[in-house]
Amino acid sequence: VEGIIPFPTTTRTLDNGLAVIAMPMPASGLVAYWSIVRTGSRDEYEPGRSGFAHFFEHMMFRGTERYPAELYQKKLAAMGANANAYTTDDHTAYHISMTAEDLEQVLDLESDRFQNLAYPEVAFQTEAGAVYGEYRKSRTDPMFTLYESLMATAFEKHTYGHTTLGFERDIAAMPTLYDYSRNFFKRYYRPENTVLFIAGDVDPDRVLPLVEHYYGGWKRGYVTPQIPAEPEQTGERRVAVAYDGQTLPILWVAYKLPAFAPTDRTRVAAELLAELAFGETSEAFRRLVLDEQVVELLDANVDDHRDPGLLDITTRVKDPAKVDYVLGVIDATIESVREAPPDPARLADLQKRLRYGFVMGLQTPDAVAQRLAPFVALTGNLDGVRTLYATYAAVTPTDVQRAAVQYLDEARRTVGVLRARQ
Amino acid sequence: MKSHAVLLPVGADPTISFSVSFAIGSQNDPLGKEGLAYLTGEMLADAATEKRTLDEILAALYPLAASYGVRVDRERTTLTGRTHRDNVDAFLELYTDAFLRPAFTASDFERVKSDAINDLENTLRYSSDEELGKAAFAEFVLRGTRYAHPSEGTVQGLKSITLEDVRGFHRAHFTVGSALPGIGGGYSDTVAAQLQAAIQQLPGGAAPAAPAIGMSALAGRSVLLIAKPGADASISFGFPIDVHRGERDFYALWIANSWLGEHRNSVSHLYEVIRETRGLNYGDYSYIEAFPEGGQRSMPPVNVVRRHQLFEVWIRTLPNDKAVFALRAALREVKALVDHGLSQEQFELSRTFLKKYSLHFAETTFARLGYAMDDRFYGIDGEGHLVRFRKMMDELTLDDVNGAIKRHLQYRNLKIAIVTGDAEALRDALVRGAPTPIAYDTPKPATVLAEDREIAAFPLEIAAERVTIVPVESAFER
Repeated sequence: VEGIIPFPTTTRTLDNGLAVIAMPMPASGLVAYWSIVRTGSRDEYEPGRSGFAHFFEHMMFRGTERYPAELYQKKLAAMGANANAYTTDDHTAYHISMTAEDLEQVLDLESDRFQNLAYPEVAFQTEAGAVYGEYRKSRTDPMFTLYESLMATAFEKHTYGHTTLGFERDIAAMPTLYDYSRNFFKRYYRPENTVLFIAGDVDPDRVLPLVEHYYGGWKRGYVTPQIPAEPEQTGERRVAVAYDGQTLPILWVAYKLPAFAPTDRTRVAAELLAELAFGETSEAFRRLVLDEQVVELLDANVDDHRDPGLLDITTRVKDPAKVDYVLGVIDATIESVREAPPDPARLADLQKRLRYGFVMGLQTPDAVAQRLAPFVALTGNLDGVRTLYATYAAVTPTDVQRAAVQYLDEARRTVGVLRARQ
Repeated sequence: MKSHAVLLPVGADPTISFSVSFAIGSQNDPLGKEGLAYLTGEMLADAATEKRTLDEILAALYPLAASYGVRVDRERTTLTGRTHRDNVDAFLELYTDAFLRPAFTASDFERVKSDAINDLENTLRYSSDEELGKAAFAEFVLRGTRYAHPSEGTVQGLKSITLEDVRGFHRAHFTVGSALPGIGGGYSDTVAAQLQAAIQQLPGGAAPAAPAIGMSALAGRSVLLIAKPGADASISFGFPIDVHRGERDFYALWIANSWLGEHRNSVSHLYEVIRETRGLNYGDYSYIEAFPEGGQRSMPPVNVVRRHQLFEVWIRTLPNDKAVFALRAALREVKALVDHGLSQEQFELSRTFLKKYSLHFAETTFARLGYAMDDRFYGIDGEGHLVRFRKMMDELTLDDVNGAIKRHLQYRNLKIAIVTGDAEALRDALVRGAPTPIAYDTPKPATVLAEDREIAAFPLEIAAERVTIVPVESAFER
């Protein structure tokens, strides 16, 4: 047991570079088996390929020679497994929750598809229809609509400029990219780019030799993607989006922020800054949500990323005439955090909240894996998250103020406003 | 603690889950005041108490990373909360104050009411066609009953509600006789006793008599088209069923339904036919119990208990020109299930799957507490739903399952709701009943194409006068 994580962990890296983390914890006989591939929409640097990492996630369910899709599904069904996958900017995770007695079978199935995926072109083309369906179900959400435009405006070069679903024109062209999909698999689905995270009713001494047995023959071959760096932003950008439907106006203010750096106190302080300035105990929240009731949502967030990302503030404004007023309050709030450090008592409350919030989230093996997977994807191990929570605890009010001065600069922000078209 | 509380001690759990379920829900909304139960629930969970303003409450909860919230459903208002046991004293005071000492301030009421109206007018109508389609289906199939309107209410219902209405509703119904407390996790006897003592401080009074729902059987097929400019098609259809947790038939039907359309799972046959083989959409599922927030959750919800359930098929968003084909494909599969039942192999696969899959229904103490609370409603608090579920997977036979299908499912009398940007054309196609063949951009096996011809010509049997088109801006209006 070390740091913020209350369970013992055993970590091993196979000769081929595959990292394995085994974490025994109380689990009522259940195991969470996560395969974390450190590839996401960030890696879609080639023109016309946005959304491909997510599409490829779907293809991972289309079978191998030994276990064609139908047989794979049948085996999971017989285990009563709860299995799924998701894709983010930085990683793709394949997760299975099942009973401990089925662990070896899962190792067999998963190691097979990660090494020997083989699907016919027809299955590939059919799956493209399902992916388009996923886009269709999401595109009516005004938040999604604004997010798409905001990211495209904030990132002119870097691949964070498109969402994980990808641009619609690229989704429409996916059925033609069968050969590219084989190439994508060869480049990125490699042991040195993957981490296995196995939590719950698991004995590391038993499982690690099994991992070696099933994955030991997986060949290295990761090809580093040529992701363009985003140039320094030197002036405020604005984007206005018209929404086909009724919605309250949404205001989204996003500041450029350096990549995840858990040892950098200023960078870590930026996460606390967002919460202190706009979280539910902030002055801005009290004023805008509770007292004046001019917005019905106020949220500030830092998503930790492998490359420089954003600190963003999102709000839904009740009166369309008051969008500028709300932006004015956000500006004044930012001015105040740049001018003075936060109240030490509020910072201490937040530090306590982060600690308890983390521990309370570790309820089941699957929840633990879900919580830790993004950090595993960022750093390839659990050191990042342990360091992050240690740094959270060490952040001082001065660090928070310094983060505000350093990052909350108007020239480095993008302001997006979505309104109903009519 | 008095015996009527639900107790779920889990010593190894460092957290404590709380629940107080009041026997009052949106079915108790007075006519014209749809949303009163919802606003009352929100005024407990998201508003000031006599001791603290809401920002003081938020500040007190903040360092604990603890929270409480409410779910108002048709039958029940359930206030749940969770804290680390280190912080239980501070939390318990805030949590019990929420239902014992609500302040009902005008400012909180204005905020909660405006949020609720926005939820219907903007979010439900516009932000997700799938959620809109499911809510429209529920309203359509339950129309004329106490279950019809969304638990949040209707736009006009909400607008007509005053703070005095909320006070009166709370005074009348949130009584000691209406409350069922529950506690789970690493709690001490003292904490359990404190919760029970708090319940005793509620005003005296019995639970209100549950109103008659007024459910009647459907005759024939009817369609509600929600016309929404620019929308793709999102489809739900089904009919009322009279089978409940605890009953043998319910578990038999669950096996059949899981095979037909297990939620968010590729074992679903509908998913196989519509998505995997044909790539028409993202997923296709079926239900025999209410399953709100289906787009966000993978396992069944807790604190959603119903005296009346629906059999419901959910076809996720697809292009309008494929909507009739997909509807036909799903109807055809329901008919095949009703006519032929499951095969021995399908039955074995489904029950083997469910026996272990059901372990995921309640992995957390919070979920297990929710199930135990729900068991009280269904009168199965002896062994409980989850234990009975797994026992039934061993006990039930193929005959039980196929018998339950015959007793509870059918395909002639049902209601269909579709959100669409092409309502007129869709109405014409549904009424005309002519074949609706589809073309693919890519080659398909001959077996699929042969089945397509059958699907494309599957009888719709929808009369022109049974199709209604409603503009999205009037959905859930009153």
